Amino acid sequence: MSAAPQTKRFDISALALEIILLVIIAFLCFYARGFATWDNFMNILRNASTTGIIAFGMTFVIIAGEIDLSVGSAIAFYGCMLAVITDKLAAKGYPLLPVILLAVAVCFIIAVLTGMFTGWVRHRFSVPTFITTLAWMAALRGGGYLLTNSFPVTPFPEWFNFFGSGYVFGIPFQAIIFLLLFGVTWFISRFTTFGRSVYAIGGNAESARLSGINVLQKRMIIMTLTSVFSVISAIMVASQIQAGNPTVGTSWEFTVISACVIGGVSLMGGKGRIWGTFVGVIFLEIILNGMTLLNVDEYWQYVARAVLILGAVLIYQSQEIRQKD
Amino acid sequence: MNQVKLEVRNLTKTYPGTVALSDFSAVMQGGNVYALLGKNGSGKSTLVKCISGAVIPTSGEMFLNEQKLQFRSPMDAFDAGIAIVYQELSLVLDFTVAENILIGRYFKKGPGGSVIDWKRTNEKAAEILAALRIDIPVTAKVSSLSVGQRQMIEIAKAMSYNPSVLILDEPTSALAQHEIESLFKVIHQSREQGVIVIFITHKLNEIRGVADFVTVIRDSRFVGTIPIAEANPKTLVDMMFGETQILSRPENLSVSEEVVMEVKNLSRKHHFSNVSFKLRKGEILGIAGMLGSGRSELLRSIFGADPVDSGTISIKGTVITQPHIPTMKRLGMAMTPENRKDEGLVQMLSIKDNLCYASLRAIAPLGFLTNRRQKPIVQRWIRELQIKVASADLPVSSLSGGNQQKVVVGNWLNTEPSIIFFDEPSRGIDVQAKQQVFQIMWDLSRKGLSVIFVSTELEELLEVCHRILIMDRGRIEKETTPERTTLDELYALCMEA
Repeated sequence: MSAAPQTKRFDISALALEIILLVIIAFLCFYARGFATWDNFMNILRNASTTGIIAFGMTFVIIAGEIDLSVGSAIAFYGCMLAVITDKLAAKGYPLLPVILLAVAVCFIIAVLTGMFTGWVRHRFSVPTFITTLAWMAALRGGGYLLTNSFPVTPFPEWFNFFGSGYVFGIPFQAIIFLLLFGVTWFISRFTTFGRSVYAIGGNAESARLSGINVLQKRMIIMTLTSVFSVISAIMVASQIQAGNPTVGTSWEFTVISACVIGGVSLMGGKGRIWGTFVGVIFLEIILNGMTLLNVDEYWQYVARAVLILGAVLIYQSQEIRQKD
Repeated sequence: MNQVKLEVRNLTKTYPGTVALSDFSAVMQGGNVYALLGKNGSGKSTLVKCISGAVIPTSGEMFLNEQKLQFRSPMDAFDAGIAIVYQELSLVLDFTVAENILIGRYFKKGPGGSVIDWKRTNEKAAEILAALRIDIPVTAKVSSLSVGQRQMIEIAKAMSYNPSVLILDEPTSALAQHEIESLFKVIHQSREQGVIVIFITHKLNEIRGVADFVTVIRDSRFVGTIPIAEANPKTLVDMMFGETQILSRPENLSVSEEVVMEVKNLSRKHHFSNVSFKLRKGEILGIAGMLGSGRSELLRSIFGADPVDSGTISIKGTVITQPHIPTMKRLGMAMTPENRKDEGLVQMLSIKDNLCYASLRAIAPLGFLTNRRQKPIVQRWIRELQIKVASADLPVSSLSGGNQQKVVVGNWLNTEPSIIFFDEPSRGIDVQAKQQVFQIMWDLSRKGLSVIFVSTELEELLEVCHRILIMDRGRIEKETTPERTTLDELYALCMEA
């Protein structure tokens, strides 16, 4: 009956992903011209940030046993929303700064409401978030086209470009937000009761409920995280292209989910770390960056991603099987 | 037709540290229904698993019609003509009755037999049902049937393989009275086909309606087989329990007069009705009753895990009509659920985390949970409850059942409750861990906490409790104390309440 308690020992294979990443970085430093430069590193961070930010939210969603497929469409929709509100109100002669702030606020409110709704139907009617967010994926994409009549809307002033292309002390503004949100979500996952509750719900929702954890409330907050982070990402994208464009963000949900999975977040729920997701995001971006610098056809990135996803999950699963023995 | 004969000789199954079945010998003849009777853990299920090939006996022999049986897997036993119907049904809910009965054996037609001949398949299934006098349309979806009807379909499916031995593992535990009667008719119909029916149960009162013989097993040994005519409750209880020594609770446990919780006319449709009782400070109150009597359902509803239709619960002057877990928690209530594995713990997460879930708010009032806050609490329960762990960071799934149970208890003690419910805390844990859990309950009582203790094991209730309520079919029928009752009296009360 009583299994001999195993002692905890340091296992190098737990760092497999980090080690492989370091090897690849070392390789690129030697063989890819222009890889090991400050500018390029900043570039990598900036490019990683739009999907990376959402991946931090997605980490909570997946740990809780849920999924959010709508994030790519959400980026397009909120970008369009932002542009259209700004365009309409600016045309009536209102000053741009308050108008943009208002537009941002509207986007956040919509994001919170949709996220809460998704969490509520999940809890109250057991509608899988796969279905609800699949519906949002279609609705938000369609909404983007309807708002803009399928043409990019370009009402933004020059200063708005700062959120997508600006620098603070030589560091891209986007990268700062990315690192900041990494720190915040890492802290939440490790050191807050909310974070622990997310793991409990993903691990066993019934146990969590019987422990008196408010599962409905947590699910609503969790689903709100990805939609709110999508708004942040949408502002950055809209700022980068200085427009609201309904075609952006197509299939980004897969990049986001891939980053989480590569980082060891289990789609079965209950398992995963923000640090893992961070590594996953950087990993994907470095592969892309390295291939560009090495003049590899860009379509190879999809093959590389496939290898990464499957390889990473194989490593995690084999670790799991070994632990059980 | 030759009469079927199953003989078991000196069957023994040992596991490291325990003997699950010891030197068991018995003979069973075809055309009879044998009720296999024994309390929990007596070895009933090990015996049946040996006969059905799920467990390989350590020593001993089995013969079917004088042929020696040697099984390596349940498939071998099945091929030899031994069919078993488990409590958890194995039907495909979205398939029809005919599809389920003949699954994998459909009649075929067309080129190369590539198309299912539904007409013949349905006819065959109807034939099988008719032979057992089961009146259910073969084209009905199984999902539209009641649990009792599904049981019948399971039996029909097993019988369609023309077995020599049909084993039924507690088939009535989830059934209503009228369903039990229909099921018995099907069982008798199977008997008419010359089969040995082994019917596992722990309900004394239904044996008379179904069995021809009663075989009793106690402490992993064969006690005897008697014809149903000789099987009165007194004889059976004596055979099942023998000379058991009931330990009694420590002397220094006292109950104060102060009522900490009063339940009045509490009802939940189909589960329990009009339940009223009082719980005093420091009291350990037991609830006895058979499976399906509504014990666990009652606890869950009081705790707010399941709804309540009517009635009230008063705790310290607060009257509650719609219990809700967070509210009950605030009022000082705690519950260690019946199913530790699926309801009490998050298996994949650490012991540390599992010790803190119920009390996150108390440990981290502002929501910031640091190791420094968690550690002393975790260490305290590991020490006080004597949880054997190498490291609190290991997943809780690495612990034995007894230690897992202590983690569930520790999780709740963290909330500093004044009333704590233990729902089957001793299920699946060893004797020593059981005693430790009882010790914990007595310690809680000494500290002035009130405990409600639900258990299928009546001797545990007699050992641990101050007072015992007896529940039957959702009602509290009687009340007694360990001082006033012996084990067989309590057993009889539960059966005949």
